[in-house]
Amino acid sequence: MQQPLALDISLQVRGFTVLLGVSGVGKSSLLKAIAGLLPARVSPYGDLMVEQRPIAYLPQGYALFPHLRAWENVAFPLPRSAHRRTDALVLLQRVGLEDLANRFPSELSGGQKQRVALARALARKPQLLLLDEPTSALDMATRDEVLDELVREVHEFGIPVLAVSHDPHLAMLADHMAILRDGRIVQEDTPAEVFARPRHVASARLLGFRNFLSGRVVDSDDESHLQVAGPDWQLQADWQAGLSVGTSVQLALRAEDIYLQDAGAAHFCPNHLSVQVKACRKEGLSMRLYLEGPTSLEMLLPRHQAEAAQITVGNFLKVCVQPRHLQIIR
Amino acid sequence: MRSADHDPGFPVYRVTAGFDRFRWMGPALAGLIFVFLLAPFAALIFATDWHDFHFAEGDLGAIRTSLLYSMLALIISVLAGTPLAWWLARGQGRGKWFFDALLMLPLLTPPLALGILLSSFYGPYSPVGSLFSHAGIYLTNTAPAFILAQIYGAMPYYIIAARAAFEGVPRELEQISRTLGRNRFQTFWRVTLPLARIGLSAGVALAWVRAMGEFGIVLIVAYFPEGIPVKLWVNLQDIGLSAVYPLLWIFFLVAVPLPLWIGLRARRQTQAMF
Repeated sequence: MQQPLALDISLQVRGFTVLLGVSGVGKSSLLKAIAGLLPARVSPYGDLMVEQRPIAYLPQGYALFPHLRAWENVAFPLPRSAHRRTDALVLLQRVGLEDLANRFPSELSGGQKQRVALARALARKPQLLLLDEPTSALDMATRDEVLDELVREVHEFGIPVLAVSHDPHLAMLADHMAILRDGRIVQEDTPAEVFARPRHVASARLLGFRNFLSGRVVDSDDESHLQVAGPDWQLQADWQAGLSVGTSVQLALRAEDIYLQDAGAAHFCPNHLSVQVKACRKEGLSMRLYLEGPTSLEMLLPRHQAEAAQITVGNFLKVCVQPRHLQIIR
Repeated sequence: MRSADHDPGFPVYRVTAGFDRFRWMGPALAGLIFVFLLAPFAALIFATDWHDFHFAEGDLGAIRTSLLYSMLALIISVLAGTPLAWWLARGQGRGKWFFDALLMLPLLTPPLALGILLSSFYGPYSPVGSLFSHAGIYLTNTAPAFILAQIYGAMPYYIIAARAAFEGVPRELEQISRTLGRNRFQTFWRVTLPLARIGLSAGVALAWVRAMGEFGIVLIVAYFPEGIPVKLWVNLQDIGLSAVYPLLWIFFLVAVPLPLWIGLRARRQTQAMF
């Protein structure tokens, strides 16, 4: 081994499982180790040769054989027999590509390549499918579509999948997810649970949280709500067990969970902040605002609000945060 | 470039005008070098006495010798060179750089010098040579000696080309083949070899030309049986320039078409693949 990598991981794979981690923490190496392409101690199948492991592996660029047509790629793992071509075509049909069976990989789009590679990986009827950054080689225009399709197909084939990615969008579609950091799993649960309650600031960042406020618990109202205060602010969050007054905590807040407080708001907002717009940037159809007030905040304003509010740099705004959107990280 | 009509107040600079005058120089120079390289081949057409086109005595035997033994030398070079080239491209042994450097030795040695080395190593008075002669194989002025000389001339070139061809095959594709249930041998046969075939063909073509044309080593080790290069030399010495041309034509006809055909085929396939 040239560069030994310290990874000690035990992970449950349930249905479509996504292992989330930033680039360079060894996600790809983990998959290669499971597939047997890197020397490592793994279980199960650790004592089998690469070609004997019932594991299918889809690398980032899909690694289709450029000298073989789509159907020949799919037929590659199939044993020599009279119905080899037919079997390959059936698999291609399941991913909706039977019309392109005679094309070479260079004549296929990114999404089509992925589906051919998927059909090829599944031709051996593996017991586990490994996906390395399945969204990285897709273009933005078709990405969500291809992803939905991929998840649907994977469920259809009924094979457990372990995908590694840095893309929280992919994790949202998963049945089960885990976060990899510093060579170990720091959190593992359903996406709903992990996205709602990230346990570390780094995890929260990975999951798309943009605002982090350091403060201290100043009031804990018997099992209904908490007050957390920083230097110039005080915010109400949902109650959590085990947080006594004086504990220092981090509040994590998504840019899209901050909203403009308008005069005729029907709902009650216990947390409002007066802020000034320092910078704003169009982000597709919405607008990203960088706010300065009691604390720096990043806010994503949906299109209809951005159009109505006519916001420019220097404006003073009143923004609002719901207690349930403030994630407390100890 | 803006035209003067639109903007009469400003002069229009034609920056390229000065260079335009010398634009013909590039193609002309290229053409000149081209002519320089190919002129001797044209001379062959004019120098050949087409009215009195006949082979010298023993020419046909030389052609037969060269074709048959070059083919054998080529086959042996490919069979033995391919595994070594693969190991050099893929192996991760600690001292691989050393073998890399050693492989350059036969390439960098002048053929005549290599011939002398071979005759002292395989010659009748050397330990290796006497060992072979005990087995009934004499490695001086025999068919085996001729083939041996050609192998030494051709195989290093084949190995260098084949090694580059194997290095061009993405390792990931070989790994994927393994995860798809194919063992090392099947992977080599079904993925590595087809993907390296263009470079390998180039290596085969190169080795063929080297083996056919090998003169220096053959001259020392296997003057007999006379192959085309040695026969050309003999004709030149014994009869003169006029006796050389018929054999020279045959030499070109058998040596050049194979590399040319492989080169063109490889080019077509590359275009289809990528």
